[in-house]
Amino acid sequence: MNWYIIAALAALLICIISFAFQFFNLIKAGAPRDLSEKSGDLSGAILYSYTKAMMPKHKESAYLHMPTYAAGLIYHMGTFLSLALFVALLIFRFAGVEIPGIISLSIAVLLIITSLSGFGILLKRIVKKDLRYLSGPDDYISNLLTTMIQLLSALYLLFPATEPVYFVFAALLFLWMPVGKTKHVLYFFSARYHLGYFYGWRGTWPE
Amino acid sequence: MKNIDIQAKEKALDLLRDKSDTKLITHMNACVRCGLCADSCMYYLTFKEAKYIPAAKVAAVSSLYRRYCTFAGKVAPSLVNAKELNEEYAAEMVDLLFGSCTVCGRCVKHCSIGVDIAYVVKKGREMLATMDMVPATLQATVDAAINTGNNMAIPVEEFTDTIKWLEGDLIDEMENPEARIPLDEYDKELFYTLNPREPKFFPLSISAMAKVFYAAKASWTLSTKYYDVTNYGFFNSNTAEATQIAKNLYDEVHKLRGKKLILGECGHGSRANRWEGPNYLKKSYDFETLTAVELIGDYIRKGTITLDKSLNNEVFTIHDPCNLVRNGGMFKEIRFVVNSAVENLVEMNPYGNDNYCCGGGGGMLAMSEYNEGRLKTGKIKADQILATGAKVVITPCHNCVDQLLQLNHTYKMGVKIVTIAEIVADAIVKNNKNKTI
Ligand code: SF4
Ligand code: SF4
Repeated sequence: MNWYIIAALAALLICIISFAFQFFNLIKAGAPRDLSEKSGDLSGAILYSYTKAMMPKHKESAYLHMPTYAAGLIYHMGTFLSLALFVALLIFRFAGVEIPGIISLSIAVLLIITSLSGFGILLKRIVKKDLRYLSGPDDYISNLLTTMIQLLSALYLLFPATEPVYFVFAALLFLWMPVGKTKHVLYFFSARYHLGYFYGWRGTWPE
Repeated sequence: MKNIDIQAKEKALDLLRDKSDTKLITHMNACVRCGLCADSCMYYLTFKEAKYIPAAKVAAVSSLYRRYCTFAGKVAPSLVNAKELNEEYAAEMVDLLFGSCTVCGRCVKHCSIGVDIAYVVKKGREMLATMDMVPATLQATVDAAINTGNNMAIPVEEFTDTIKWLEGDLIDEMENPEARIPLDEYDKELFYTLNPREPKFFPLSISAMAKVFYAAKASWTLSTKYYDVTNYGFFNSNTAEATQIAKNLYDEVHKLRGKKLILGECGHGSRANRWEGPNYLKKSYDFETLTAVELIGDYIRKGTITLDKSLNNEVFTIHDPCNLVRNGGMFKEIRFVVNSAVENLVEMNPYGNDNYCCGGGGGMLAMSEYNEGRLKTGKIKADQILATGAKVVITPCHNCVDQLLQLNHTYKMGVKIVTIAEIVADAIVKNNKNKTI
């Protein structure tokens, strides 16, 4: 096995262990405890928090910023596709399975589009004064690594010779994911849960 | 600049190190600094400065969390936006978390992730309280409540005189000696509470609620010592002080053997007692806690009181107090009561759970050092009100009433500001006789 594949696998293992540890800490802390008398539909509100409340018409962060919202959505789809592809490519590589050219090409085109969304978001962060104010190295590193993995996945599908670069970037991403703001992949779900709990307990949600 | 005592600093940081608080861990790690919450906050909308973006307020606290509670923040702080807590940083936190946020939670509902920004701001305030850095004006309000039983330090005699005077007027108006405002009476069904602004500045809202109680033939009482529904300990975020204030009221309900605690029209007071109180005291309350709006709603539904909405025939609008509506679930109940009491209601845009804060929340009215910002941010509310064309603004919160009165004056709105009890009292008819009381 090539050193860069070993490095990527080791990084993935560290990533999984680190997220498992953070997840365990959340679970260990337990569910929220509220001693006031509940007034609403808690499970309905938690479900609402993950579903309808996420719809663009319910959030100013979406409906006032539709281009960014759309770019973000595409970008996140690209991230998940890249992560799934990483696992699939490894399996195919070791099993000696060839991905049909048309499928490779289609996925590559998709990933180039999603990575463009990522670059667009990065550019916005660099250009906009207010966003620059909010940003630190973590914000740029997180975006760059996540965008690059999408682009490199596409390149790897089209040009297998880029394999070492692809796996090195994958390793960097896996190491960074549980450390940088990329860890919101875990905390997003927890935040939605707490929000649903808060509004549900008091009867504000479901709307 | 205030020196921070090392021990106090460590105690403040310990608040972030609490590994048993899943909500804390979550919200310290969830913000992605997308900045999309900016347009949901009246401070950013008013001043258009990046430091007012809700995410910047989150960062003020979460940067410390990263620095002191995460491995990466300890090893490579600048890489993960981790910051050192020192005098200068703490002073910035005061201005940001006390002076530039009303904890209204509007940004929370609209955050792309679901970060409870208001919760994080309150956690930051709690840290500042631990370091004895609460703005002096807000602390004075809390101290008054702890030392005298009410946040305006109204002496018991003065309060009693005011209530006796109001009771005399009520008896005259109702032409019935039973139209009373009972004080310190035992075993009553309802233990009613007030915002001290009422006896001090708005006594007619006490008369209005007394009229409602009279029409409902309610068994009720006020305490002369602990009638204050407010809890500014919720705003200075000193948990010990908030607990003490909540406990005073809890104990008084027990002392007078009240069956239900009725929270007078005060947004944060309702929140602090209904939702936070049991958590402060670490026990479920053994009596029912209801807001005045819910009680009135109940009276209307059961036919205990009858309203004639044609008696309120001007154009009305509602200002939704953040702590009662978005953070208290009272959107529908307020609409039910108001629609039962007035003929012509025009909603603001936006309204309900999406309402804008009046600008006076979060203890802002108590902090005179931030008056200028408070009145400037309030322009959003003033513009909203003017756009409705309403002549009367109804709001079930005396804090909001106070801010709206100041906005009315500042922006020459020419509207009347009333509470729910007032519009209900104006619409009450004697059962089966079409005669107002
Ligand atoms: S919208 Fe939410 S996640 Fe985005 S910057 Fe604001 S608080 Fe953070
Ligand atoms: S809680 Fe209200 S005032 Fe504070 S940051 Fe959010 S929107 Fe702005």
